[in-house]
Amino acid sequence: MIEIAPLAVSAADIKFGTAPVEGTILGKAVRLSPSQPLVRYSLRAKDIAVLAEALGRKLPEKIGTSLDGIARLGPDEWHALLPAGTGLPLVEGKPLAVIDVSARSVGIVVEGPGAAALIERGCPLDLAQFALGRATRTVFETVEMHLWALAPERYHVDVWRSFAPWLWNSLAEAIV
Amino acid sequence: MILIHCPYCEEDRPEVEFTYGGEAHIARPLDPSALDDREWETFLFVRTNERGLHAERWRHLHGCARFFNAIRDTVTDRFEVTYKTGEPRPDLTATTKAAKAGGKA
Amino acid sequence: MTGYRIPFGGRIDRSRPLTFTFDGQSYEGYAGDTLASALVAAGVTVFGRSFKYHRPRGLVATGVEEPNALISLDRGADRVTPNLRAPQISLYEGLVAKSQNRWPSLKHDVAVLNDVFGAFFPAGFYNKTFMWPRSAWEKLYEPVIRNLAGLGESPVARDPDHYDATYAHCEVLVVGGGIAGMEAALEAAAKGGRVFLIDEQDELGGGALADTTLWATVDDLRARLAAADNVTVLTRTTAFGYYHQNFIGASERLTDHVAPFAAKGAREKLWRIRAGEVVLAQGAIERPLVFNGNDVPGVMLSNAARTLALRYGVAVGRRVVVMAAHDSGWRDALALHALGIDIAAIIDMRTVVPGDLADEVRAAGIPIYPGHAVTAVSGRLAVKGVTFAAYGTGKPHKLACDAVLMAGGWTPSVHLWSHAKGSLEWSDAWGAYLPAKAIENCRVVGACAGAWDLGKGEISSALPNAMSVRKQKAFVDFQNDVKARDIHLAVQEGFRSIEHIKRYTTNGMATDQGKTSNLNALQIASNVLGKPVTDIGLTTFRPPYTPQTFGSLMGHHKDALFQPLRKTVIDDWAVAQGAVFENVSQWRRARYFPKAGEGMDAAVGRECQAVRSSVGIFDASTLGKIEVVGPDAAEFLNRMYTNPWKSLQPGRCRYGLLLREDGFIMDDGVSARIAEDRFHLTTTTGGAPRVLSMMEDYLQTEWADLDVWLTSTTEHWAVIALQGPRARDVIAPLVEGIDLSPKAFPHMAVREGTIAGVPTRLFRVSFTGELGFEINVPASEGQKVWDAIFASGKQYGITPYGTEAMHVLRAEKGYIIVGQDTDGTMTPYDMGLDWAVGKKKADFVGKRSLARPDIVAKGRKQFVGLLTEDPYEVLEEGAQIVVHPDEPVPMTMIGHVTSSYRSTTLGRSIALAVLVDGHARMGETVHIPMPEGVIRAKVTGPVFYDSEGSRLND
Repeated sequence: MIEIAPLAVSAADIKFGTAPVEGTILGKAVRLSPSQPLVRYSLRAKDIAVLAEALGRKLPEKIGTSLDGIARLGPDEWHALLPAGTGLPLVEGKPLAVIDVSARSVGIVVEGPGAAALIERGCPLDLAQFALGRATRTVFETVEMHLWALAPERYHVDVWRSFAPWLWNSLAEAIV
Repeated sequence: MILIHCPYCEEDRPEVEFTYGGEAHIARPLDPSALDDREWETFLFVRTNERGLHAERWRHLHGCARFFNAIRDTVTDRFEVTYKTGEPRPDLTATTKAAKAGGKA
Repeated sequence: MTGYRIPFGGRIDRSRPLTFTFDGQSYEGYAGDTLASALVAAGVTVFGRSFKYHRPRGLVATGVEEPNALISLDRGADRVTPNLRAPQISLYEGLVAKSQNRWPSLKHDVAVLNDVFGAFFPAGFYNKTFMWPRSAWEKLYEPVIRNLAGLGESPVARDPDHYDATYAHCEVLVVGGGIAGMEAALEAAAKGGRVFLIDEQDELGGGALADTTLWATVDDLRARLAAADNVTVLTRTTAFGYYHQNFIGASERLTDHVAPFAAKGAREKLWRIRAGEVVLAQGAIERPLVFNGNDVPGVMLSNAARTLALRYGVAVGRRVVVMAAHDSGWRDALALHALGIDIAAIIDMRTVVPGDLADEVRAAGIPIYPGHAVTAVSGRLAVKGVTFAAYGTGKPHKLACDAVLMAGGWTPSVHLWSHAKGSLEWSDAWGAYLPAKAIENCRVVGACAGAWDLGKGEISSALPNAMSVRKQKAFVDFQNDVKARDIHLAVQEGFRSIEHIKRYTTNGMATDQGKTSNLNALQIASNVLGKPVTDIGLTTFRPPYTPQTFGSLMGHHKDALFQPLRKTVIDDWAVAQGAVFENVSQWRRARYFPKAGEGMDAAVGRECQAVRSSVGIFDASTLGKIEVVGPDAAEFLNRMYTNPWKSLQPGRCRYGLLLREDGFIMDDGVSARIAEDRFHLTTTTGGAPRVLSMMEDYLQTEWADLDVWLTSTTEHWAVIALQGPRARDVIAPLVEGIDLSPKAFPHMAVREGTIAGVPTRLFRVSFTGELGFEINVPASEGQKVWDAIFASGKQYGITPYGTEAMHVLRAEKGYIIVGQDTDGTMTPYDMGLDWAVGKKKADFVGKRSLARPDIVAKGRKQFVGLLTEDPYEVLEEGAQIVVHPDEPVPMTMIGHVTSSYRSTTLGRSIALAVLVDGHARMGETVHIPMPEGVIRAKVTGPVFYDSEGSRLND
């Protein structure tokens, strides 16, 4: 076995938040909170019509936008982020894929006048250009996340479960 | 950090969302067993290592997750054009010559 | 130099005196002072010792270009910052500063002998002298040289500060907060976009802060900027790098200007700014003159003396000589004179000077010596006087003085412009390079564009002197102790390009990057070579503009947030059980679960025994998982993996071996067909991202016609491995909807149902050689199911085991771990995995390469087992294997140990290895030479336990 040095000090001790963190960044109010429980589906098809019909839902057409809880992430990829209890049919035998990934990620809600500044600390996108209704995969420093502009000054961040403690604390540390 | 135009997302996105994928337009032979050792070696290992305009693959890993192709100038690290997988390599010789002529003038 | 505080004026706050120490001695200054201004006011002349000759050195400048006054700022033992420039250190109450590069003290430095013997230390001295003997490098030369030549000392304690970072976006970014920069920012702001204005000083104003006539203008511009809500002004912020597409790196110093006890929040903040347009307004840096004695403390830039006087209310001396080649020196002299400072003379190498300036100076009663040059400076720790002569060669005159000001003209600051690859054009008027053509959307304004009237001057190389250049102490680069004669020497020795001259002489290196020396070196080289400056080239400016702290560049990646530490949902439970962890890629995994007083060997032995005799439970959640869905799923996997997949029935599992196209093993894992068009793949823990990436690559770019999609489900599923003869008994009471009987649910099968009420994909697979299950449940339910299984297993003595026992158990069975037993050059045949290669398949990734000549050649390393003759000897992993232990070094190495453990099950040690032609060496004895002696081992097959596999199929 190769011995590997422990990772940086106290990295093992940080936890995902269970209660909201409120305060300011650059003098603007901001609030960080764990999102309500959600279901998540990865939805794939080359033909949007085939997928829309199988799901019985209207799907967003422009890559990087969302519609009723479903984002179009790529040319053949949509992602559903829906209230807990919403089921989508795991359709078989069609040229499409529906995969339940509900437990893969956890959600973080960032809201308030300082929300964009808080996210831009590690996300290289220009959020002033990230209009309401936008949704995309991007990064916070080295960690991939999904970023949804849900309402004015309100973002939803979805991140893979094991990266969530790091991301939560990376966001929370800047709130004073 | 440069900005790269993703041909699928149709917008400029930050370099950290992308990964590099090596030289473009090197298709896997449809029947590898038909290739002799030298041909197979060429497919596996031989690359142009261009100084100047280089066709290469990139992937918008932390975005739409698509592979796409780009013509990048390896001297200036400038992306001249990006295009979707499967599209032919754009001919930039005309524009490059024009640019060079303009530069000299 | 006998500096003093002028009783009036300046931008300091005289109502707030501050106490500080320098090299242990206490001094007073005022709020608004820098360390430099306060020390000069206190009469201090020596600020540091030079790098090579350890000559005493004084303050030269009042900006970032300062080459001499490098200071260690002590904010507590763990907060010592070396190499800060005194004029950049804002004074605060209780500040503790120390000089550098001296021993035992600034005034008495032992290494000054370097200076006495300076004639023996010319350019290239180190390169030429310390070549031989080679063995002396490590033990003698390097430690001694390092000790003598250090630029301050690095702190050794952990940095207790934290740092901030952010991205930012704007339409216009202005670098430089002088008048030109402020005006540019306001102009941009009027257009409505987001504007950033960055300046490295404590307050906006730039050079105008040293000109009282411009203070009203500065105040007005500052007020207008503050009123514009689309302008972000960052002071104490250095734009240190200008990268592609107007991406600017800047570091904001947040707390270093306040006392440590009052400092709150992050120490520095890294700004990563993307700008639509960049406006550079970096101003210009005054150029020293190169003459004999120009490094005596008290010889400084003319503009620095002006800044000290007008901005900080500090006189650099009581009797000042100005050595000018430029009008600005005359103006500075008049400004100092107006404050009551005695100007002993203005010596100007030009024979003709502007009449109006001359009239003014004459009216002020200041003696003028046009066409003269300073030829010597007296004084060692401070200037005592100068010798000067007509054209440097005439009859020498002496003049007593305590400061000499150098006005050598101005160098527009083109650093950032050059980072951005903007072209430069030589300007005879400035005697410097000016920005010409931009590559980025960038423009320059003010002095750095050459668009600022600083007066006229004449550009020379070194000042004329009757003394030979070899004997003069005429410095070009103060920080690196490069003299005019070193440039001469470099040229004589054949160096022609300034890039080579720079490297040979070290001119322009280290912390100041030639801010004051580059142009003078260029002029001297041009002179010696008899070629125009433009033929010699120009060294390239690269980021950073000024040295930056590591903390600032790290931003928030520090301590707990250095990088993500990925933990599974069972991690908290493992912590509570006292598990010892190890890191596997970014994951941390429980390595073993010691009971009180147990070491690793005892714990692992107990854990292994529990699995072999009853049942063990293991957190396998970190395994990579990929859901492959679509009508062409089986076709796709058939092309990717070495073995056939189309025939796999839903409900069954298969071991998949993945090669790269070059034929070498990339990853492996057991995968299941959940439905006709749905597979559940597993990969190694560390291999998950690259396997998915490789599969996506083939799917998107080679086989885009296939209807199949890949989704990472690694983190969706928690995976609980339950292994041992009692495994079925443990889960039987918890499972619903699945017939667990061996017949209905054989080895290498998968079923869907519920466990403890939670939906599960239940795999019957084994990485231990025992009856076993891998229970996949949604991660959110992982701990709940784990607890239920653990409770159910109590009666069988269920034992949690970690990665170490997992490794031992699989090694007993000869199961490989990709990346441990393979190294990226192993084929399936090398590893004895021929059975996993579909011989009848026409193609799969890597197949063609398996017929490459080198792959089928003899002499490849092959996977084998090793049994040491001494059963208690545990081989070292990585140990080399030889045939003849007595062969002289270098010995012929025929392989190495890849895995090695103490096996409690077998009551002896076992090892796995790769060995040249190993498959044909069964039964041979090989030797493993170790420092303690040679170990003998017998080559065996890699399966040590239950080679028939009967226990799997129970």
